Amino acid sequence: MLLLQQIINSVMLGSVYVTVAVAFTLTIGILNFLNFTIPTLFMLTGMTGWAIAYWGLPMGLSGPLPWPVALVIGILVAVLASLVVERFTFRYLKTRYGDSTEHAIPLVSSLGFLLVLENLVQIGYGNDSQRFPGPDADLTLNIGGLFVRIPQLVSLLVTVAIVVGLTLLLKRSRIGRGLRAIAENPDAANILGVDTARVVPVVFMLTGLLCGLAGALFAVNYGEVSPFMGEDIGTKAIAGMVIGGLGSIWGAVLGGLVVGLLEMMTVHFFGADTVQVVVWGALLLTLIAYPQGLFGHNSIGKGKL
Amino acid sequence: MLEVENLDVTYGRTRAVKSVSLTVGEGEIVTVLGANGAGKTSLLRALQGAVRPSGGRIRFNGRDLTAQSPAARVRDGMVLVPEGRQIFVSMTVEENLLMGAYLRKDASVDRDIASIYERFPNLAERRYASASSLSGGEQQMLAIGRALVSRPRLIMLDEPSLGLSPLFVERLFTLLGDLNKDGIGILLVEQNTTMALDIAARGYVLELGTNVLEDTAEALASNTALTEAYLGGHGETATEEPARLA
Repeated sequence: MLLLQQIINSVMLGSVYVTVAVAFTLTIGILNFLNFTIPTLFMLTGMTGWAIAYWGLPMGLSGPLPWPVALVIGILVAVLASLVVERFTFRYLKTRYGDSTEHAIPLVSSLGFLLVLENLVQIGYGNDSQRFPGPDADLTLNIGGLFVRIPQLVSLLVTVAIVVGLTLLLKRSRIGRGLRAIAENPDAANILGVDTARVVPVVFMLTGLLCGLAGALFAVNYGEVSPFMGEDIGTKAIAGMVIGGLGSIWGAVLGGLVVGLLEMMTVHFFGADTVQVVVWGALLLTLIAYPQGLFGHNSIGKGKL
Repeated sequence: MLEVENLDVTYGRTRAVKSVSLTVGEGEIVTVLGANGAGKTSLLRALQGAVRPSGGRIRFNGRDLTAQSPAARVRDGMVLVPEGRQIFVSMTVEENLLMGAYLRKDASVDRDIASIYERFPNLAERRYASASSLSGGEQQMLAIGRALVSRPRLIMLDEPSLGLSPLFVERLFTLLGDLNKDGIGILLVEQNTTMALDIAARGYVLELGTNVLEDTAEALASNTALTEAYLGGHGETATEEPARLA
């Protein structure tokens, strides 16, 4: 029974990893770009949400706002920040320095954004964890002796909706086809009138939205935010994405859940200290046994969504 | 319809196309011939807007498109069927056709796709199959179908017969003739000189990026010195090549 309870908890934890892992996989699958700003976007939503719920809007524009409003603003901040990242890392550096540095420069500059934003938030709000004034996280459903916390259940449903929505967007919509066309063959997409400069920001908007939602769900579930909240989630999401298979959305979903499960089981059996060893050990073992990840395609890189 | 004046295309320090001028009239078939590296593909890429020309002007139906995006050109009715087909193998046949309609917002896309299926029954049977499962010839039909869904006034084809079996080469040229009867202008870059000159009204010959010859297709076809001098001196092998590849 306890084990079953742990499995339920791990699915809930995994759903946060899933959302962030899907954000990573989206930029890798479409743009072949490992976007290191993702953990920061996640953190930005949590921290701005907290700041607005606790202090109100900057420059005395308002007093403290209700937490749901604060989180919506936090999500918008993540989307806007992601568009800024697109404008100043991906687009600018790519057009300026062209193909030979295609992968390295956006990657390194996104790492730069990660550190700058994280440190700005630290300067602004200090290094401490802050309590997020969300709903009562202990509202619990009791299903035959198994406890499911309601905010976690909501998180899980939101995550499922995100993944299904994103899949439908990519498969069925015009913009989704445009994104897949760019992922597979940017030249051919261009010839048919797909304007890369217009479509690429969509990827970054979606990235910001996914990270923002994940950050908001995290803040509500764990009731705590900090300038470093993205680091652990971000690295575990990367591990989940690679375990599941690079560039595959359902791979990211599976990988995120696997990491959540591994984490809970490790804590249960061996204690919290061994979590990183088990998660990254599992990643290395997966790569040895299945170099493409559990759900991955034959080749890694572009055109895999 | 299409007027190109003194077009230059430069990659770094290489001038791939040097001051090329050409025209394609409404509903006309024009072919551009030349050996490998003569600048034919660069010319087409500049016409479609994939590369920005370093000099010259491109006008289409009176509008200057030189500085316009590929999207603007597709909207105006110019479309390229690129070398090597470049269909999207991660998509289904139908999704590939829908990509041809990417810029269209009108309601008759479905009808146009249905008419593509009528023209190519092979594609209709495979509409929900992955485009990667098609044969080379079927993929070329899909690439042309995809271009047609954009409702072009001018369709530009880069080596469409390359790698096709003789049967499909035959069908390809029949198709080009049919499209032309429907009033679509065709700019055809081909290594299969004989068939290209057979279908075209006029032709241009490029050598090392320069337009060295232009004439009616008939005159070019009877000009044996042409194949010797400009098409690498093995015009005959060039015509045989697609058959052998198949």
